[in-house]
Amino acid sequence: MTASTPERPATRPAAPGTRPIPTSGRKRIRLTDRRFAALLMLPAALFLAVFVALPLLQFVFNSFFRYNPIAGSPHTFVGFGNYVRAFTSAEFGNSALRTVVYTVMVVTFEFVLGLTVALLFSGLGNRSRIFRTIFLYPLMIAPIVAGLLWRFLLIDNSGIVNQLLYEAHLISSPNQIQWLSDPNIALFSVALPDIWLTTSFISLVLFAGLQNVPGEILEAARIDGARYPTLLFRIILPLLRPVIAVALIVRGVDAARAFDTIVVQTNGGPQNSTNVLSLLVYNTQIANGNPGLASAMGTIYLIAMMGIAIIAVLTIWRPGSDH
Amino acid sequence: MNGLESRRTSTRSILWTALIVLVVLYAFPFVYMLFTSFKTPIETNAIPPTILPSTWTVQNYITALSTQGVPQSFLNSLQTAVISTLISLVLAVPAAYAVTRYRTRLGRVFILLALIMRMVPAIVVGTPLIVIFHNLGLSDTSLALAIAQTTISLPLSIWLMASFFEAVPDELEESARVDGCSRLGALWWVVLPITRGGVAVAAIFAFLASWNDFIFALLLTSVRAVTTPLQIANFQSQFGLDWGTMTSLAVLYSVPVIVLAIVLQRHIVAGLTLGAVKG
Repeated sequence: MTASTPERPATRPAAPGTRPIPTSGRKRIRLTDRRFAALLMLPAALFLAVFVALPLLQFVFNSFFRYNPIAGSPHTFVGFGNYVRAFTSAEFGNSALRTVVYTVMVVTFEFVLGLTVALLFSGLGNRSRIFRTIFLYPLMIAPIVAGLLWRFLLIDNSGIVNQLLYEAHLISSPNQIQWLSDPNIALFSVALPDIWLTTSFISLVLFAGLQNVPGEILEAARIDGARYPTLLFRIILPLLRPVIAVALIVRGVDAARAFDTIVVQTNGGPQNSTNVLSLLVYNTQIANGNPGLASAMGTIYLIAMMGIAIIAVLTIWRPGSDH
Repeated sequence: MNGLESRRTSTRSILWTALIVLVVLYAFPFVYMLFTSFKTPIETNAIPPTILPSTWTVQNYITALSTQGVPQSFLNSLQTAVISTLISLVLAVPAAYAVTRYRTRLGRVFILLALIMRMVPAIVVGTPLIVIFHNLGLSDTSLALAIAQTTISLPLSIWLMASFFEAVPDELEESARVDGCSRLGALWWVVLPITRGGVAVAAIFAFLASWNDFIFALLLTSVRAVTTPLQIANFQSQFGLDWGTMTSLAVLYSVPVIVLAIVLQRHIVAGLTLGAVKG
């Protein structure tokens, strides 16, 4: 794919030369600004149409058929059969619930931690610069690496996390907490690499937002005798509201799609306790060889996420508008 | 928040302590991975685990790099990321410029749709893409993988570039037009040189999206185009729990981008915070 189309049109006629020019007849058709703009957008639009919209349509189309690509069975049209199966299967409902719990958990932890760090950075001013650099580095690490690394840190009997907790006398034996094999806490444990990787994002965004809070307002409130909690909850947080909203939406959408970190840590186990929707769709498709059902599940998952995302984008971002 | 400067020093030292504790906790996982990669295989699986290696060895690195396919996977990762970054920029720059400079209704619809596409999970487009690339004769190629990864980075690149273009005053472009520049000429000769920093930001993020991608590589590559994240993941399934080799390869793969992050810190922070803070 190269963007061959937009390089030339500014100096060439818009219509490829076939249509005769009726009235003026004197020179080339002038490309209106509106058409020029459309032409500039065309390559990206085509790209997204071919490599996102088309596969998406194919995916939705597949959801109305039953077939097995491995066995090479023919496509059988089943109407909404796969959707009925998805909605009536307990596993789908449970996975959807886990996805919601996972997302809320990740976003909440990241927000509380991220805000704390942003306030510390802001309170300490320029001298915190070196720490901001250190805080940046997890953002560069591949989620797959983070997932494997945390799996290593959390191994039941020889993991360093349990060992350190044991040495700090917080737990009574180094394998007391079965991070990734206890179904009751595994969903939390698999969230740790995600939280570790992207709390920095929330911190940096909130820190940038804090730089824009006018110092005079804070000063005035302080002179009026406001204590720090009042300052935080009554002035700082309300002023940061738009920034917070955007950061949480971006992270929420990503957390709802989490795949890499979970698949390498538990692959959905133990006892399906970490089987979120992205894993369920993947495994139904690849491991169980039922792309029809996987597509139906994926389509429902997508529509739910899109619905939330569109509402959020329209109400908060309003991209491309004239402010 | 200059008010804090005048606060008592005790408050400051509490803040500093809290920050240092947090940062040490935050840095620990990677540092531990770094140490582990220099341990002997026996020490890696020792109970109880050690933090610092008792004997330092580069054996894990030698094993990792001499594993079949690993050196090639690095080249594949780099090649894929470069192709993906280029596609992303070539498509995003004109599109973002059109959206911000001409403010047409179509442009608003376009950027909105692009942002919505950013939310589509990779698993949804990934499997149909297997068939599409097969039909195009691109199965198991870096180009196919790069295209797939660009579906993730392109909407972000468009959004980032649009934010940067918005900061350029329209008059600049208009005066270039008066001087006889074509519309594309004005973008290329006048606007792009000013927004070089923005292009760098978009490039960094497109590069990272590709370099760190796992799921598209898992779905779309099998032999020739395999990237390093797949090789890293393979170490745990193929050889049981070979943490030493796995961590050494993970370190090798992460260090270039961490160095990149430190060198280009200013740009990365700008990119991360731009959209959100302007919102």
